[in-house]
Amino acid sequence: MPTYNLYMGCSVPANYPNYEAATLKVAEKLGMELQYMEGVACCGSPNLRAIDYFGWLLVNARTLAIGEKNGHDIVTPCNGCFAALKDVWYHLKHNEEDLKKVNEELKKSGLELKCNVRVRHVVEAMYTDIGIVAIKERITKPLDGVRIAIHYGCHLLRPKDVTEFTPEVLDELLRATGATVVEYPLWKQCCGATVLPVNEDLAVRLAHDKLKSMKDAEAEFAMVVCPACGNQLDLQQFGIKESYGVEFNLPVLFYPQILALAMGMSEDEVGLGMNRVPADPILCHFTSE
Amino acid sequence: MAETDDKTGPPVTLIEPIDMTKLDPNFRKEIQNMPDGDEVNACFACSTCTAACPIANQWKYKPHQLIRMILLGMREEVLSSREIWECLTCFQCQERCPQGVRVTDIIFDLRDLASEEGKIPDAVKFLAKELLEKGQLYVVTADWEREDLDLEPEVPGLSTDEFKEILKRTRTGKIAGGE
Ligand code: SF4
Ligand code: SF4
Repeated sequence: MPTYNLYMGCSVPANYPNYEAATLKVAEKLGMELQYMEGVACCGSPNLRAIDYFGWLLVNARTLAIGEKNGHDIVTPCNGCFAALKDVWYHLKHNEEDLKKVNEELKKSGLELKCNVRVRHVVEAMYTDIGIVAIKERITKPLDGVRIAIHYGCHLLRPKDVTEFTPEVLDELLRATGATVVEYPLWKQCCGATVLPVNEDLAVRLAHDKLKSMKDAEAEFAMVVCPACGNQLDLQQFGIKESYGVEFNLPVLFYPQILALAMGMSEDEVGLGMNRVPADPILCHFTSE
Repeated sequence: MAETDDKTGPPVTLIEPIDMTKLDPNFRKEIQNMPDGDEVNACFACSTCTAACPIANQWKYKPHQLIRMILLGMREEVLSSREIWECLTCFQCQERCPQGVRVTDIIFDLRDLASEEGKIPDAVKFLAKELLEKGQLYVVTADWEREDLDLEPEVPGLSTDEFKEILKRTRTGKIAGGE
């Protein structure tokens, strides 16, 4: 059974335990052993990178070094954590001087980073290590015909030389459930989550534009693989209602929730009640069968 | 065309004239020496980055101008600009730059430089404090929700002490402590 270091970050467990639970349950069914990493904390978010580059390198190098000890890949369900770990790994892999500086600090707690560890998004590990064929074999309630728009997330896709992630991974994963992947013009656009602290109006506008683009393309709901994007597209629909007077009613689900439902798990098992916009379309699909 | 004969004022230009005495010729080098600045000289001012940017329309300084301002040495204007903090870090500009300029990464570097000088928006300063005090941005409060979903009430393996210790010694400590 493939075994992984699970880096959960701080946002998923605090804000989206439904995402956490669905991820664990799906992984178990797929035969993936996810082990929570010991002694780790937050990735610091892009804000830490912005204000304290060296501190950001250090805290993430520490996480990488802890993961490196047992030789298993690090996987995470959060695009923010993914980007932080990938970025720091990439930088230190290509900058010996900084790697040396970082290791001098890590030595104090008995750690050393060689940059051998591999970091991936947890759904990427499902894609590469389990594979579409094996995932399809476990689908008992296919989502035929349900139209889903994917929001990939900026920090999952870009910069490509760092993230090494292609959008097709999510497309194929979603299609494996039988759903239809909706194409929409603003598929690459940011959800606005990062600018929330400094300019809320702008953040709301970006979420509005994104959701409108999905809705115009006749999406029945949206899929995300990041708690920040999820928050911004799901919860922000209430903010949009206030500022724009528009109600999109577009449910936003995390990929493992969608996969779990297609594997026959119940809505309670994946905490569907915690998604803010009620996820009726997907449930109607099941009950109408 | 009588008014074009009147040559009393300064010549009409498309952009505000730049005060040459305020330029910092070392700024370009400074950026080049940062983690992502290697390619900044390769910018040929095509504005592709600006065309790719979803929010440039509301900015005084568009992404291609920020890069140009770095090359010209307009250090003060760039580091005090609201643009560098409003950037979504969505990497759309960087992805499309035909010259391989790491536009978004450079904006991160600019924030780092601005932070060194204490030029940080209050909201971001607040986040620095949160990180230092809590060791994470979000803390589990509704542990019953986790239990309902068959999760451990406390996040397994979580340990924030070392994280806080590290940031106390780096710049975050100064930013959060220095008020
Ligand atoms: S896209 Fe690249 S080359 Fe063109 S203006 Fe922007 S930074 Fe310069
Ligand atoms: S990263 Fe910033 S500057 Fe570049 S396209 Fe996105 S918002 Fe615009």
